Amino acid sequence: MLRYIQRRLLLMFPLLWGVATLVFFFMYMLPGDPASVILANSGGKAESIARLQEQLGLDDPLPVQYMRFLQNLLQGDLGESIFLRQPVSQILWDNVPSSVELAVGGMAIAILIGLSTGILAALNHHSWIDRACMVLAIAGVSMPNFWLALLFMYAISGLSTRYGVTILPITGQGDLKHLILPAVVLGFALSGSLARLVRSSMLETMYQEHIVTARAKGLGQWAIVTRHALRNALIPVTTMMGLQFGALLGGTVIVETVFSRRGLGRTIVDAILWKDLPLVQGAVLWTAASYILVNLVVDISYAVIDPRIRYG
Amino acid sequence: MNRHSVLALVSISILFVSSLAGCAKPEPQVAGTTVVKEQVSPETAVTAAAGRQGGEITYGLTLIVSDIDPHTGSSSELGIFLTSVYDPLVWRDQEGNYYPGLAKSWEISEDGRVYTFYLRDDVKFHDGEPFNAEAVKANLDRIVDPELQSHKAVYMMGPYDRTEIVDAYTVQVHFEEPYAPFLDSASQVYLAMASPKALEEWGAEHYREHQAGTGPFAIQEYVPKDHIVLVKNPDYNWAPAFMGHQGPAYLDKITFRFYPDAATRVPALESGEAQIMGEIPPLEAKRLASDSRFVIYPTHIPGQSLQVFINTSRAPTNNLQVRQALIYGCDRQAIVNGIFGGFSPVAHGPLGRKTPFYNPAVEGMYSYDPEKARNLLAEAGWTDTNGDGVLDKDGQDFVLDTVLMGWGAMPEVGTAMQGLYRQLGIKMEAQILAYPAALEAARNNAHHLIPMALSSSDPDILSSYFHSRNIESGFSWSRYPDAGLDQWLDKGTRTNDMEKRSELYDQAQQRIMEQALIVPIRDYVNLNGDNAKVKGLRYGLQGWFPWLYDVYLKD
Repeated sequence: MLRYIQRRLLLMFPLLWGVATLVFFFMYMLPGDPASVILANSGGKAESIARLQEQLGLDDPLPVQYMRFLQNLLQGDLGESIFLRQPVSQILWDNVPSSVELAVGGMAIAILIGLSTGILAALNHHSWIDRACMVLAIAGVSMPNFWLALLFMYAISGLSTRYGVTILPITGQGDLKHLILPAVVLGFALSGSLARLVRSSMLETMYQEHIVTARAKGLGQWAIVTRHALRNALIPVTTMMGLQFGALLGGTVIVETVFSRRGLGRTIVDAILWKDLPLVQGAVLWTAASYILVNLVVDISYAVIDPRIRYG
Repeated sequence: MNRHSVLALVSISILFVSSLAGCAKPEPQVAGTTVVKEQVSPETAVTAAAGRQGGEITYGLTLIVSDIDPHTGSSSELGIFLTSVYDPLVWRDQEGNYYPGLAKSWEISEDGRVYTFYLRDDVKFHDGEPFNAEAVKANLDRIVDPELQSHKAVYMMGPYDRTEIVDAYTVQVHFEEPYAPFLDSASQVYLAMASPKALEEWGAEHYREHQAGTGPFAIQEYVPKDHIVLVKNPDYNWAPAFMGHQGPAYLDKITFRFYPDAATRVPALESGEAQIMGEIPPLEAKRLASDSRFVIYPTHIPGQSLQVFINTSRAPTNNLQVRQALIYGCDRQAIVNGIFGGFSPVAHGPLGRKTPFYNPAVEGMYSYDPEKARNLLAEAGWTDTNGDGVLDKDGQDFVLDTVLMGWGAMPEVGTAMQGLYRQLGIKMEAQILAYPAALEAARNNAHHLIPMALSSSDPDILSSYFHSRNIESGFSWSRYPDAGLDQWLDKGTRTNDMEKRSELYDQAQQRIMEQALIVPIRDYVNLNGDNAKVKGLRYGLQGWFPWLYDVYLKD
C-alpha cells in the first residue's frame, strides 16, 4: 500500500510537467501580447512596446522562454503576475482557501442531498417518492447555477426589505454564514447527478444475492442498507465525487462571480483573458496537482470501502 | 537670474490670497504658460473655517486594485485615494492651470530639455523625513529604473535623461529631447513624491504596502482587496492655492472600500454604508439625481473621447467619402442616450472637450445626416445593385470587419452602430475579443473599425494613436501616414511655447476629422455620487481623482 502511494506520488511529477508544458504552449498560441495591453492603457508608443517586451522576457525565442520557465518551476518559483504585480504563489495563497472552503461546503451539501435522495428513491423504487426524488435530481442537474443563486438572493433580499429580517448575507465572504448560500447553490447542482448514480447503483446491489441472504438472516432494513448495500454501491459514487471535488478545487467561476467571492475560477478566467501567462500557469498547476491528489485519495478509499481491493 | 544662463525664467508673479477660505479664487496661471507663482505663505493663508473639522467617511471604489504603488501601477483607481496621500511637484486646477505644489516655482530651458524646480523647504513626509532635492531625484530615478517595471509612470517621463541636484532645494530634470508634456506628468499622482527612506527600506516589492507621501492624509491601514484607511496628516500646511482652505484637512479619517459589482454600489450609498461612491450606473444616477438626499457629480474625463478608429489602409474605408459617410451615418446622440443615459456629451473629435488644447472647431464638422451618408456612399460607387439590402461595388458587398473589446460598453456601442449602419446598407461584422486578442487583431490589420478611449490631460496622447511611426507595432489604428500630422504631433511634443503648441494641436485635430480617421462617439463622463451631507467635494482635472482635502460633513 505504502509503496503504491509512493509510486503514485512520484508519477505526479511527470504529469505536472506535461500539464505545465501543454499550458505553456497553448498560452503561447493564444493571440495577443501583454506588453501591448499594458501600453495601450498608458498611451505608450511603438518604441516602448519592444522595450517592455524585453523587460518581460517576451521577446526571447520560445525555447529560451520555455527553459527559463522550467528552471524557475524546478526551484519552486512560479514567477510574478504580469498585471497584478504580485508573486503568483501569493495570489494562489489568497484565493485557494476560498475555493477550498466553497468546494468542501458544496461537496458536503451535494453528498447530503445526493445520498439521501438517491437511497430514498432506490428503496421506494417505482413509488411516488422515487419519482419526486428524481424530479429533484433533474432540477438540480438542469437548473443553471446563476439562476438558482439569483432566486435565493431575491428571496432573501425580499424578506429583508419587506419584513426586516436578514437570514443570510447575500454576497461577500467571511464567516460560515457567508458560505451557506453559495455552498447550497453549488451543492444542489452537483447533488442531481450524484442522486441518480446512488439510486441506480443501489438498485443494482439491492437485488444481489448477498442482500437476499441478509434479508433471509432476518436483518433489519437499516442494517441491510448501511452495512451491505450502500458499501457496495459506494464505489462508483466515490469515483464521481472525487472527480467533482477535483473540479471544484479549481474554482467555480459562476458561483464566485454571482456571490462576489474571491476564488481561483475568476482568477484563472481573468488571467486567460488578459494573457497573464505566469498566473495561468500557476493556477493550472495547482488545479492539476489537486486533481491528482484527490484521485489518489479516491483510489485509496476503494480499498477501505471494499476490502477485496488491494494495492500491492 | 544669470543672464548668461541658458535657462529663461519667463516671469514671476506673486500671488496674495486675501479673501476668505472657500471664496478664495486665486488668479490662475494661463494654461500651460510658464508663469510661476509663489506658494501661499503660512502667515497669509487663511485658517480653516470653524466647525468643519472632524468626522469620517467611507468612499466606495470600483475595481479591486492590486498594484497601488503609484510609480508602477497604471490603474485610474489608485489615484482616487493616492491623490490625498501625495502632493505633486506642480498642481493643475480644474481648468488645467498650473500652480505651485512641492515646487514653489519652476522654469523651463529655452531648448525645452531642462526643467528646474525650486522646492519648498518646509515639507515633511508622513514618516518624518524631510522633502528636498534628493527626494525628487530618488523618486524620478526610481520610476525609470528598468528593474521597477513601471506600467505607466515611466511612459509619462518621456525621453528622461537624469535629475541633477543643484542645491538642497533645487533640482534640474534633464531630457534627451525637448519634452513639453512633462509639466503635466509632474502634476499627476503617478509621479508622486514618496519618502526616499520608505522607498529604500521596502524596495520595489513591498513599498506599495508601506507608502509614505506628503499629502493631507496618510495611509494608516491597507488590507489588500478589502479596504484602505487614510488618516489626517496634522502637519499638512502646503495645500495648493486653489483649495478652499489651508492647514490640515477637515476629515479625520477616510475608509476606501471596494464595490466591484455595479449592482451593489447604489444600495451601499443609499443605506449609508458609503458616503461617496464612484462610477454609478447611468440609469441609477438618473434616479439619484432627483433625490435630494444625494448629489450626482457627472465628471468629465479628459483625453481621448470614446472613438472608433477607421482603417484607411483597407478597402472600402481607404476612400475618404466612405469614411465621412460612416460619421454622418452614425447617430451618436441616440447612442449616448441609449447606452450612457444621456449623461455624456456627444464627442466631436479625437479629444474630449475638457482636454487641454481641445479644438472646438471640430464641433460643426459632422452632424447626423443619413441622407448625406447615402449620397457620399453612392458617389464613392456603392449601390445596392442586387437588391439584397447590402451595398455592393464590382460584385463585392460592403462589409466592415469590426473588432470590439469586452470592456467599457464597447460591445453595446458596436451593436448600436451595427443597427445604424445596416440602415445605410452596410454590413458590419463585429467580433468581441479578449483585450490582448483585440489589440493583436488590430496590429495584424484585420480590422476596418476598432474602438478605444483613454484618459489623459495632455494632448500628446494623440501621438500614440495617430502618428505614423506607431502604425506597424503601436496603436495608430487608422493607419494613416500623413507628413503634416506627424510633424504637428512631433512639434507638439517638443514645444513649450503654449500658443504654438495650441496651434499645432488645433491643426492635428482638424486634420484627423477632415480625413475622417475616427467616428467620435462620446466624451467620457464619470458619474460619482455622494450623500448630501458631504460638502466640498471636487474632482481634479483628470476627472477620476477627488480632492478630499476640502471635504467636510454637515450635520
